[in-house]
Amino acid sequence: MAEVDLAGVSKRFGDITAVADVSVRIGDAEFVVLLGPTGAGKTTTLRLVAGLEQPDAGSITIAGTDVTRLPPAARDVALVFQQYSLYPHYTVYENLAFPLKAPGRRLSKPEIDRRVRHIAEMLRIEAKLGNRATQLSGGEMQRVSIGRALVREPTIYLMDEPLSSLDAKLREDLRTELKRIQRDLGATILYVTHDQLEAMTMADRIGVLAAGRLVQTGPPRTVYEAPASIYAAQRLGSPQINLLPAGSLATDRPEPPGTATLGIRPEDVRLTGPMGGAGQERPDLPGRVLTVEHLGVETVVLVETAAGPVRALADAHGPVAEDQPVRVAARPGSVLFFAADGRRLAATPASAPAALEEMSDVA
Amino acid sequence: MPSDTVTTLADKTARATPLALARRVRALSDQAIAWLFITPTIVLLLAINIFPLLWTIYLSFTSYRANQPGRPIRWIGTRNYERLLGSEDIWGYMQVTASFVVWTMVIQVLIGLGLALLINRNFKGAGFWTTVILIPMMLSPAVVGTFWTYLYHPQIGIFSYIVNVFAAVGPLDMIGSVDLAMWSIIIVDTWMWTPYIMLLCLAGLRSIPPYLYEAAEIDRAGPLQQFWHITLPRVMPFLMLAVLFRGIENFKMFDMVVELTSGGPGSTTELASINLKREAFEKWRTGYSSAFAVILFVTVFGLANIYVKALNRVKQT
Repeated sequence: MAEVDLAGVSKRFGDITAVADVSVRIGDAEFVVLLGPTGAGKTTTLRLVAGLEQPDAGSITIAGTDVTRLPPAARDVALVFQQYSLYPHYTVYENLAFPLKAPGRRLSKPEIDRRVRHIAEMLRIEAKLGNRATQLSGGEMQRVSIGRALVREPTIYLMDEPLSSLDAKLREDLRTELKRIQRDLGATILYVTHDQLEAMTMADRIGVLAAGRLVQTGPPRTVYEAPASIYAAQRLGSPQINLLPAGSLATDRPEPPGTATLGIRPEDVRLTGPMGGAGQERPDLPGRVLTVEHLGVETVVLVETAAGPVRALADAHGPVAEDQPVRVAARPGSVLFFAADGRRLAATPASAPAALEEMSDVA
Repeated sequence: MPSDTVTTLADKTARATPLALARRVRALSDQAIAWLFITPTIVLLLAINIFPLLWTIYLSFTSYRANQPGRPIRWIGTRNYERLLGSEDIWGYMQVTASFVVWTMVIQVLIGLGLALLINRNFKGAGFWTTVILIPMMLSPAVVGTFWTYLYHPQIGIFSYIVNVFAAVGPLDMIGSVDLAMWSIIIVDTWMWTPYIMLLCLAGLRSIPPYLYEAAEIDRAGPLQQFWHITLPRVMPFLMLAVLFRGIENFKMFDMVVELTSGGPGSTTELASINLKREAFEKWRTGYSSAFAVILFVTVFGLANIYVKALNRVKQT
């Protein structure tokens, strides 16, 4: 395992800038997740680290060696593709053993066998070792793909949305498993996804990508609580953060000058009955409940207000019903302030939890 | 209902059908209609495939001669087969055929796969060169055979000239030489049909997803390993299919070789099909040649069946 360092890396395909001036350091045994929507340059960044693409500018260093111009084989990285890149005509065992049989590895047969069985056990596919790759289910195939990366003990594991083609249940299982394996092996992982849940649950650090640029890096909690911009705020959290025009909602802290948009996470929205606001010193935003979604763990209430729709997480056993008039307020200290260009503005320190504000780690 | 809105072909057909017929068809069950559709094909198949085959098998047990139509057909049992299988000449023709098929297939697979790998690199002008390579395939075999007799001409032919550029062997009579005649037909068949093998290999190569190579590259597999573990297994079903088609074609090769060597010199290039034609339509031994045809049919059919089984096993993986 080793440190990987990207410094000012850019990559263009014709007129399209896929990756623009990305600098990020992935520490030893760190799990870094690159988060962004389709076309944000996540996969290209990964392929640049793997050596499948050559950067137009910048340098890539693995374990202190500049590998920018080296071919994939010389970098000793492992890559899990989004599609199951298994050799279809081979068995699971042969697929797992394949990377160990590469020229220049010189592993003994018993050693290869030991490693393959160890990984198969870890990924719970030991019963399938004799099966052909094409006889596996989607989840099994992807586990073999991950296994083929894991047997190698490379400098860094690169993973390109490895769970995106699996069903929800399996995705959840593999997510936990992957995090456990990473901790057990002390593996360095650069993981790419558009799924905020994967980013939140697995990452030591998240890097938010927007149109090829890294807009923010930091621990999931920091990015969630102190996003650098509206864009970063929208990447994490489900349901998404509520955005309301400045001044539409009374806040306990004064809006910093230049505020254009207020951001309130659904879990910070307080709904009160039509009379609930009585006696409060500030007027709440009045609205009407449009829909109530009971999701089991949580209940999402969509409220229509004069300032736009607001989503709130409500008590599952609460008395909220559709068409009911309600008042919308924010939990004290929870409102985020954004400027017209999307940047987040620091709240006036007087009443703000200061520590939180300082942690914003803008790249 | 306004009739001017009726525009579809189905509607037009429905309107053009006489009412009486339409009523009768409507009364038929789905199964009856299905039979109505496939009957012409089945009748045609029976008439031009199945009946001739059965008739040939019948004639192979007789001493029938097609140039004497008035004579009664005499049943002689398995005598034709006994004579055929006991004849050393027949085994000779079978050997000539076998070596022609094996050599052409081996050489064409090697060159065809090599060309496909080259074309698949998608260099500039790859499309143009693909077309150029495919041209021989589009010619008529008889025409190819005829003009290659000129190319092979020991005095004025370009083949002999080119060989002499590299090695001064003097005028080279490919067709007339006992040692070289077999190679003369192998070379022409290779020239003509290698593009076919290349085309099918190319289809196979194009079907390999590029991420397999990327995965292999990251797994540190060298070019040779990539070829052995990814390219070859993926192209194999296509290659085997090409060999099946070409193998059967070459087993019954006739037109090109007749034009080129007519089976000579001696019987060095006397393929089974050429000899069969001689027996059937020059010597008019219809019964005897029918027996020969049945033997050839059983051989090709048997070999092709074994081969298709192997092909299916490769495809399954």
